[in-house]
Amino acid sequence: MAIQVLMPALSPTMTEGKIAAWMKSEGDAITSGDVLCEIETDKATMEVEAIDEGVLGKILVAAGTEGVAVNVPIAVILEDGEDASAADALSAAPESAPAAAPVAAPAAPAAASPAPEPEYTGPTKAMTVREALRDAMAEEMRADENVFLMGEEVAQYQGAYKVSQGLLDEFGERRVIDTPITEHGFAGLGVGAAFGGLKPIVEFMTFNFAMQACDQIINSAAKTLYMSGGQMGAPMVFRGPNGAAARVGAQHSQCYASWYGHIPGLKVVTPWSGEDAKGLLKAAIRDPNPVLVLENEILYGQSFEVPDDPDFTVPIGKAKVERAGSDVTITAFSITVGYALEAAETLAAEGIEAEVINLRSIRPLDIDTISNSVQKTNRLVTVEEGWAPYGVGCEIATQVMEVAFDYLDAPVHRVSGEDVPMPYAANLEALALPNADKIVAAAKAVCYAN
Amino acid sequence: MIRNLAASRLKMVQHVTTRKKKTVGKGKLNAPAFICPLAQAKDHGIRQVMDAEGNLTGDLADPDLADGQLIRLYEMMVLVRAIDDRGWILQRSGRVEFWIPHRGLEAVHTAATIAFNDDDWIFLGYRHPGTLLLRGVPLVQLFAQFFGRADEPFKGRRLPTLMGDRRANVVPMTTQVGSYIPHACGAAWAAKIKGDDTRFLAFFGEGSSSRGEFHSALNFAGVHKPPVVFLCENNGWAVTTPTSLQTASTTFAEKGDAYGVRNIRVDGNDPLAVFAATREARDLAPEKGATLIEAVTYRMGYHTTSDNPDLYRTPEEVAVWEAWDPLIRMRKYLENKDLWNEQHEEELWARCLAEIDVAVHAAEAMPLPGPASMFDDTFEEPTWMLEEQREQLLAELEPGE
Repeated sequence: MAIQVLMPALSPTMTEGKIAAWMKSEGDAITSGDVLCEIETDKATMEVEAIDEGVLGKILVAAGTEGVAVNVPIAVILEDGEDASAADALSAAPESAPAAAPVAAPAAPAAASPAPEPEYTGPTKAMTVREALRDAMAEEMRADENVFLMGEEVAQYQGAYKVSQGLLDEFGERRVIDTPITEHGFAGLGVGAAFGGLKPIVEFMTFNFAMQACDQIINSAAKTLYMSGGQMGAPMVFRGPNGAAARVGAQHSQCYASWYGHIPGLKVVTPWSGEDAKGLLKAAIRDPNPVLVLENEILYGQSFEVPDDPDFTVPIGKAKVERAGSDVTITAFSITVGYALEAAETLAAEGIEAEVINLRSIRPLDIDTISNSVQKTNRLVTVEEGWAPYGVGCEIATQVMEVAFDYLDAPVHRVSGEDVPMPYAANLEALALPNADKIVAAAKAVCYAN
Repeated sequence: MIRNLAASRLKMVQHVTTRKKKTVGKGKLNAPAFICPLAQAKDHGIRQVMDAEGNLTGDLADPDLADGQLIRLYEMMVLVRAIDDRGWILQRSGRVEFWIPHRGLEAVHTAATIAFNDDDWIFLGYRHPGTLLLRGVPLVQLFAQFFGRADEPFKGRRLPTLMGDRRANVVPMTTQVGSYIPHACGAAWAAKIKGDDTRFLAFFGEGSSSRGEFHSALNFAGVHKPPVVFLCENNGWAVTTPTSLQTASTTFAEKGDAYGVRNIRVDGNDPLAVFAATREARDLAPEKGATLIEAVTYRMGYHTTSDNPDLYRTPEEVAVWEAWDPLIRMRKYLENKDLWNEQHEEELWARCLAEIDVAVHAAEAMPLPGPASMFDDTFEEPTWMLEEQREQLLAELEPGE
């Protein structure tokens, strides 16, 4: 019986990849453990080994093909005695496993939706969030020689998530520096370098690993300006993926937005789109205060149109209305903006027009934009991946109550991660996280539309 | 004999005497003692210039400081002790909230400070007022901070004895002991990246060597060779924890070996040994990178005014160390060189106490920080939330509003 070789998922977040090279040709004998081909993902190039024995009957996806979805058949292995016709039969048959659809960014707001704030109208370029972050750093490093990048694997390996691709080549090892594995240690070194007049970008492989750096971020980076009476501060950026990725469990799936949003002396931004990523990171690097840029691993591979202008930045402390609507306000940040926009489409089909606000900054919070929206829609749903207690939604609800209580026609509703450490099992993980359906349900609830 | 000259100084001594009577020499926690190793310094790998009598018997050469510099060093050590005596009394009489005594620790930080240039950076630990004074910071500024007054650089926001002043290239200490060791290493690394010739010095206690940051910083320093000197003041006790419960290593200096960082162990009550080791480390920094210096010394006083050492160590242990008091040794060294005598001593103490009196009165008379200032410097520029809070507070304080 001929065996299909499927495009493997080489990481929990991989949805597609490139067949870089075939190491075996059609007709070659295969034994278990032989390297069949090399696959390039957005993180690394990896070898795919054969599990089964036989003969490589047919290569279904040629070397050099990009964007091959996970689980698509890429080759057929024939067992002893089978001839090539078995391979043809199998490759002609309907795919036994459906190709996973690439994660697409939700559609941008319809052109008909009025944009309430001036939009960037210059040239744009399609790129992934990963590339947008890289370009932001590269542009700022070109503009200011005091800016440098440090972290685990940022130089030689070009970043655990390939965000720093090409930076070592362009800027050299004086400005792109691999550090030993000690988040609190190198966060402290970065604080010292900021004291010493440089502008460090400290990359954490993930903020989940940076909990031990909290002391450096809070007690040293955030408080030094105040405690020194303004004599010295720590102008610097801490950045890296935050929150849940996919199937990485409780200690690797946590949102720190409300943790750091709590601290005076820190600014906290949470990009969703490529435009956010580039504009907010550039603004963070230019800011004279310590800024945390909470990115999202799943968003790294998503593509957006991104302003192609080295002067473009996104102001810290300013939210963006991603979709205008009159019936309910939905605030979201990072990956949940996509869910909120998806929910808004569903709601629109049912006659409810949702206004989706991309917070962009957690601290300072743009309460004016939220309040103006609530004064129009009279209803509010907050969305976050983190836990609800003492969360971002709590702060927004409180501030809205303080400034727009009389405009509310329904209690504020929070959509958040379930109040449990993140489970590993795929079904439980999906249930623990916010999604478009949960947002739709919450929006209908505050509209009394059920 | 060193005579005690001033009333305030006598009070301090009386206080210590009372304490001894009360406890009858029992370390209640039965913690192991920190037995003074200085009489057998060579056996312990502790480098010295002078013995207890100020004689040049050590294995380190006398660094041959100019007479003026030797006298300046000794005078600063005495001033530091006089400040400590006064700080204690100010706390016990309720005029400052908190005090961290310096007694016995006058040599390390003063000698290390003069081994560095004024444009080098120093990261302070507790108990190091001499560094600031040697860098020209006026005494009244220190007391203004102790009293939490407006007219000091930190605007009433920092604990007494978390001292520093960026204008003097002295970085104030952070309360999490040891957390600033990577800062010094990072700042030195920044200087190296920028290509300037500034050197860096960080003081910390032996207790801090148990913190992860100590190891992170030394590890990084071994790899990247920034121009920094890590000066570990081994004063025997991390609050109530003796060195024997802090580490199983024979010395703190040897921890540098694990990281490829050059290291030396010196007598911390011998200011000239501290000077010689620190100056050499500073001079070698561009070529060799970091040095870890362990200065073996002793905290003769309390850890803080919230502490009671009678509960964990014996007066006998303290008494042995008192014979190695750095002030006595430095004075004897100067006397051996005919640079000092009883009259000088009396005049110096009188001058120190008078200066302190003036500084205390001037600082205490300074205004408290204005309420509006509370919101400054949280960010480089005020945010709307801070402005709103400031306006709200001022409105609440406005009579009749």
